[in-house]
Amino acid sequence: MMSDGGSIKKVKKFHHDTVMKYILMAVASVTVLIIFFIILFILGNGIGAVKEVGIWNFLTGFTWKPSIGSYGAMPLITGTILVTVGAILIALPLGLGSAIFISEIAPKRIRNILKPVCEIFAGIPSVVYGFFGLIVLVPLLRNLFPDHLLFGTSWLAGSIILGIMALPTIVSVSEDAMRAVPKSYREASMAMGATRWETTRKVVVPAAISGIAAATILGIGRAIGETMAVMMVTGNSAIIPAPLWNFFEMLRTITATLALEMPDVVSGSTHYSALFLLALVLMLMVLAINFIAKMIIKRSKRKFGDPTVPATSSKKMRAIASAVKNTPRTIWGLMLISVFMMTFILSAVIQSDMLVSFICGIIVAELFLIFTIGILLVPTGDERIPGKLQDTSKRSYMISRYSSKLIRSAVLTGAFVFVWMMASLFADTFVSVLTAFVFLAAMIAVIPLAKRLGSGIREKIAHISLTGVVAVVVLVLIVLIVDIVSKGLPALSFDFIFGYPTDGGLGGGIFPAIVGTIQLVVGTMMIAFPLGIVSGIYLAEYAKNTRSTKIIREAIDILNGTPSVVFGLFGMAALVIFLGVGYALIAGCITLAVMVLPVIIRTTEEAVLAVPKELREASLALGASKWETTMKVVVPAAFGGVVTGLILSLGRAAGETAPILFTAVVVFRSSISFSLADPVMALPYHLYFLASEVPGSTTMQYGTALVLLLLVLFMFAMASVVRYKYNKNIKW
Amino acid sequence: MIDTNVMDIDKFNLWYGEKQALIEVSMNVRKNKVTALIGPSGCGKSTLIRCMNRMNDLVDGCRVEGRMSFNGQDIYDKSTDVMLLRKKIGMIFQKPNPFPMSVRDNITYGPKIHGVTKPDELDEIVERSLRQAALWDEVHDRLEHSALSLSGGQQQRLCIARTLSINPEVILMDEPTSALDPIATSKIEDLAGELQKDYTVVIVTHNMQQAARISDYTGFMYIGRMIEFDRTDKVFSKPSDELTERYITGRFG
Repeated sequence: MMSDGGSIKKVKKFHHDTVMKYILMAVASVTVLIIFFIILFILGNGIGAVKEVGIWNFLTGFTWKPSIGSYGAMPLITGTILVTVGAILIALPLGLGSAIFISEIAPKRIRNILKPVCEIFAGIPSVVYGFFGLIVLVPLLRNLFPDHLLFGTSWLAGSIILGIMALPTIVSVSEDAMRAVPKSYREASMAMGATRWETTRKVVVPAAISGIAAATILGIGRAIGETMAVMMVTGNSAIIPAPLWNFFEMLRTITATLALEMPDVVSGSTHYSALFLLALVLMLMVLAINFIAKMIIKRSKRKFGDPTVPATSSKKMRAIASAVKNTPRTIWGLMLISVFMMTFILSAVIQSDMLVSFICGIIVAELFLIFTIGILLVPTGDERIPGKLQDTSKRSYMISRYSSKLIRSAVLTGAFVFVWMMASLFADTFVSVLTAFVFLAAMIAVIPLAKRLGSGIREKIAHISLTGVVAVVVLVLIVLIVDIVSKGLPALSFDFIFGYPTDGGLGGGIFPAIVGTIQLVVGTMMIAFPLGIVSGIYLAEYAKNTRSTKIIREAIDILNGTPSVVFGLFGMAALVIFLGVGYALIAGCITLAVMVLPVIIRTTEEAVLAVPKELREASLALGASKWETTMKVVVPAAFGGVVTGLILSLGRAAGETAPILFTAVVVFRSSISFSLADPVMALPYHLYFLASEVPGSTTMQYGTALVLLLLVLFMFAMASVVRYKYNKNIKW
Repeated sequence: MIDTNVMDIDKFNLWYGEKQALIEVSMNVRKNKVTALIGPSGCGKSTLIRCMNRMNDLVDGCRVEGRMSFNGQDIYDKSTDVMLLRKKIGMIFQKPNPFPMSVRDNITYGPKIHGVTKPDELDEIVERSLRQAALWDEVHDRLEHSALSLSGGQQQRLCIARTLSINPEVILMDEPTSALDPIATSKIEDLAGELQKDYTVVIVTHNMQQAARISDYTGFMYIGRMIEFDRTDKVFSKPSDELTERYITGRFG
């Protein structure tokens, strides 16, 4: 070899490199086929409802009552949006506050505890959260608001539970984003005499804003697709709350509707197809959210990272802005007053409540004002800027002058409306409007006062309130864990673990459910691992950045964000009914495998891509083939990341309920079967069944919840050990 | 001519955990002069300069002993307002570190922190600081562009302008040109000379020619100790210590 005369001609026609490439490609394309099949399947089944109900009737109908053939999805869509909005209102302040605390304030020791704790809570199965909500939160709310809540199950309960569930995601991702802000920014700010808090607020948070936005969106995505927890605590009545912000009302989400109605539906009926259409609507909502997230990230990148010119406005906008600017102030004032009067009169005619109409008028006028000032910020090229700064780029100059005022008035308006809405749930119109005004006045009075405080005092106040936020979050999590562990431990016994359930779930054990869950996880693993890993490696190492690769990535992302209940729907329709498999282990495994496939592909791809280019170049420069480089250098280097992703995905599969709800599980089995065609019991479903259908089985519920929790946590512990071990060995 | 001292450092010691990084360092900083600190890597010159506005507070396990004073007041006294100290003693870092904001927002950051809110006043500060940092002509028509769109040398001058925006008395420069090309470097050097009219400058540098060119006083440090501190012409023409002589003549190690 060393002395063959220096020829660099090809010796073999088919190098193993090429062969391997095609093999990988073949496996990856199976995955791609599966993914497109799912999307097409759901689309195809949803079309029927479009024909029979009509898309307009479906989206705008106010009654969802399949028993009388009424398929108006409005209450369900509203329910989904409302419960999610509520969850974010709860989770965002708590999550962001905690993230700031962990990243900027907490000593290293506390950070090292809080960060993993956060990840543990992200991994707790949703059915456990639902169970906790049902057994702890719902009674608590009923006692707190006896006049408003008859049963306790409500939008409020749903939002609180979803908020708690979205918290770990928000904390974890935004903390990462803030920690990624270069130390040099902090140093520069501190060196100018800024306090830690000023540095955090004005440098770190703005620099991390795209990460924080992404975290929020991920949280929203998680909340919107959540099934079990929501179903257990929201009461599930398909009505639109009145007034719209009445969070004491029960409501029903799209996901809950799918989970509740799918098992009883006749295949091929209008109802059946309407459920698919609902699933499509849900997917579209998730897609829209992800799209917005991408846009936000892109925009903020353009603004700061990318040294390009700020975006210029369109001609039309400039014309409008020019017109607005050239309008004299008196006309402006007149317009403002007329906007107010028009809203006032219109509102008075509709609502016949003078005070409410007055408020509406003010709010709309305020919005009008904000909007016009917004237009003023559009450059027209003919501004006269006072002072010496004739040369500056003018639009941004205006923005920097007015934006803080704009934001402040928008925030004040928002706060006013919010307080009014909340107060109106507890008091009559007059009192609630008064409350809102008092609140507004207090805000306006306090803001300048707060500004006059020394920066040191402001920092102290900020730190104390952030610590308070973290304390609340930690307290909630501690209550959750302590409650389940303390009440679950007494239930654990030999008979409980290794016995069969008796008396319809009131006694006995959960052995078949434990075995069933393990069977499901193992089956999922065997299907999803090979497909997912190979596809991930293919995408990272071999796939060229062509249009088709882009489409594949998009498709994977779509499936990645798809709520688990949609996979359940697919599994039932495609496997259980269409292929006639019936409720069976194999159907559950395939459904779960399809669900975790995108996660596995993505984490594998990311782990592989994280391997530095230099390592590959070093290997290739030694004459190794691409395949050899991949197998001997890249994959071993990415091993830790890949395995972590795999275990995490299995943990998710073990805790999921919705996908197996109508593909694989039954309430009771009297023996263990290893046949792929038999249905199984499973821990999450068993917990759901006991909690919602078997009153008086509290001890059994806590026992099941604890076992499920331990099983899932064990997997996450394994994942952390693997990651820790590999992170220690490999550093770049 | 007798210069007044802005800063006095007397037998100053510093430890990072167990490791002592500064040993019995004594020197002073004369008003409206450029003071350079030179010495091989790891000699403690960056550590010393970071002590002067207490940026080392941010390092875990950092402990100091001895006296370091600014206008006669002990910098490390409990009653010192660190934020105020840093306002008066600004700092330029090795690598340009503009915030990921617009050029204007970079400059107005400090004044806003310290309570300036009037737009007109801020505009004046922006123009004045940028002119002082000899950057105005290059960026006056793109104040709203991202600061990261500037070249490395411009970014460093922006950082200087940012520091000037809050009218410090002393400007500490920690190897401000180590990440820049020769042309950008010479601009920063010229700037340091200009600034000396209104400010006091302390500069850490690897580059002995740089120290010789721009400074009035030079301190030579070696393994945590201040070996020699004197007027620059004296240090470079007839150093009193043999170590110094070997270092400046390049016969070192």
